[in-house]
Amino acid sequence: MGYVAVTAGEEIIERAEDLFEKQRLDDDAPSLSVDQVDGQLSRLTAQAMSEGGLYAPRLAALAVIQAQGDTVEASFLLQAYRSTLERWDETNPVDPSDMFATRRVSPAYKDVPGGQILGPTKDYTQRLLDFDIEGADEIDPTADWDLPDAEPTTVRNVMDVLREEGLVHEPAADAADLDDPVDTTREPVTHPAGRDEVLQELARGETGAVTALGYSAMRGYGQVHPTLAEVRVGKLPVRITHPYTGDDVRVTDVEVSESEAVVPVYAKRDDPQFAFGYGLTFGRNERKTIAMTILDASIQLDSEAEPAENPEFVLDAVDGLDSFGFIEHLKLPHYVTFQSILDRIRAVREGRGLDAEVGTAASSAADGGDAPAQAPEVSDDD
Amino acid sequence: MDDPHDRSDRFELIAACDGDALESVADQVLASDPTLDVLQEPRPQLVMQRVVEPVERRPFNLGEVVVTPAEVSLDGERGFAMVPGKAERAALSGAIVDAAVADRHPIADEAVAVLEQAGEAYEREREQTWAESRHTTVEFETMEDDL
Repeated sequence: MGYVAVTAGEEIIERAEDLFEKQRLDDDAPSLSVDQVDGQLSRLTAQAMSEGGLYAPRLAALAVIQAQGDTVEASFLLQAYRSTLERWDETNPVDPSDMFATRRVSPAYKDVPGGQILGPTKDYTQRLLDFDIEGADEIDPTADWDLPDAEPTTVRNVMDVLREEGLVHEPAADAADLDDPVDTTREPVTHPAGRDEVLQELARGETGAVTALGYSAMRGYGQVHPTLAEVRVGKLPVRITHPYTGDDVRVTDVEVSESEAVVPVYAKRDDPQFAFGYGLTFGRNERKTIAMTILDASIQLDSEAEPAENPEFVLDAVDGLDSFGFIEHLKLPHYVTFQSILDRIRAVREGRGLDAEVGTAASSAADGGDAPAQAPEVSDDD
Repeated sequence: MDDPHDRSDRFELIAACDGDALESVADQVLASDPTLDVLQEPRPQLVMQRVVEPVERRPFNLGEVVVTPAEVSLDGERGFAMVPGKAERAALSGAIVDAAVADRHPIADEAVAVLEQAGEAYEREREQTWAESRHTTVEFETMEDDL
């Protein structure tokens, strides 16, 4: 497939851009500030950061405003900005058990150590439109809470609980002995993809695609219908080695969503144990994280019987920037492509004498005839 | 991260400190007209966040985090800071504060106080967040006996 450049009036293109910008400002109400979007629409900024593979809440808020709420466009803006920055280094690997969890529920374990912490959620309430939000008094509904004194701590990971009981296999190698993980932002994914590549690509996958493919596995196009060991939302420390002291030091925290899925594999192994799927992504995005665990577990089945089990298919389909580019490029000028298709169809028709038949059929129809016109064969190889 | 006199703790306190507060302290340091060399310009950069996934205990790259590092030499004493996000002024101010405290600059006591306040604010916010979350701890009961 080749591309042929087209030109257009730059001034007209700028006018179209101005008109787009006017839509954001075209109101009597003041435009949204970065602080407002960062603080009040954090699910949007979380999705942009997650799919952009870049944690920068205020920049994500700016991108969401600029993209007028289009999260994929916002993630594109973040990735474009990211491509202008140098890499300082990798962080020291952090264990998810270091997460400062603000929400943790375990659908698998009723009496999970550390308790079922609902945190900020509307999961257990009705989804009804609240007409009172508009114009309501902005009173903090938690202002009169009598809060318990408690030293902040981390909650125990369910995986560790199961591992202690021998229900999860021990890792084959110590993390310290493993090679550095592949960075798919720098090296293209090659198949068969390693688990580190799969997790990185799923973590920055497009939310809708990850959800749809994960859902497909539960709707008959896969074998994984997991029980979630836990879903957590919280903050993970970003740690580097201090250049002067050599100590492991915390730069900041990143908000993440995490999910672990329990998948029974007792029918497939001599030692009946659970297999697991894992999901982790930037920001609050539990739906994507849960779907990620399903895809991780499906890919580990090492089968290509179903779409969700085929890593090449999954990783290609969930890449938001790739799909964004390929789908949206179709609306850009394809005049040369289309002209060549027209030329070929006309040539085929002419070669088969179909133009004459159409003329005859047309005149026949005009005369009340009902003979169907034969469809031309069209190649789709471009 | 509770001792501003310890370099590693100080790094964490500077990273957690409000940018305006850092800038205010740095301005006071610079008011005495010290010799300042910027060894590393404050520019947004990336650190790749690595996480050890709990199934196979393998590290993987979660994604990149925008940070702004800076390094200075203040009257011959080096200072380094890295702050979250795109925050050039805060990073440069942080590096100056780091060097000033290391060099026992006359403004060091004030810098230490500001950093201690930042540490306390960080802990207070964590305690508040934790307490609010714990306040939503629930015990789910299965209902098979009632059926």
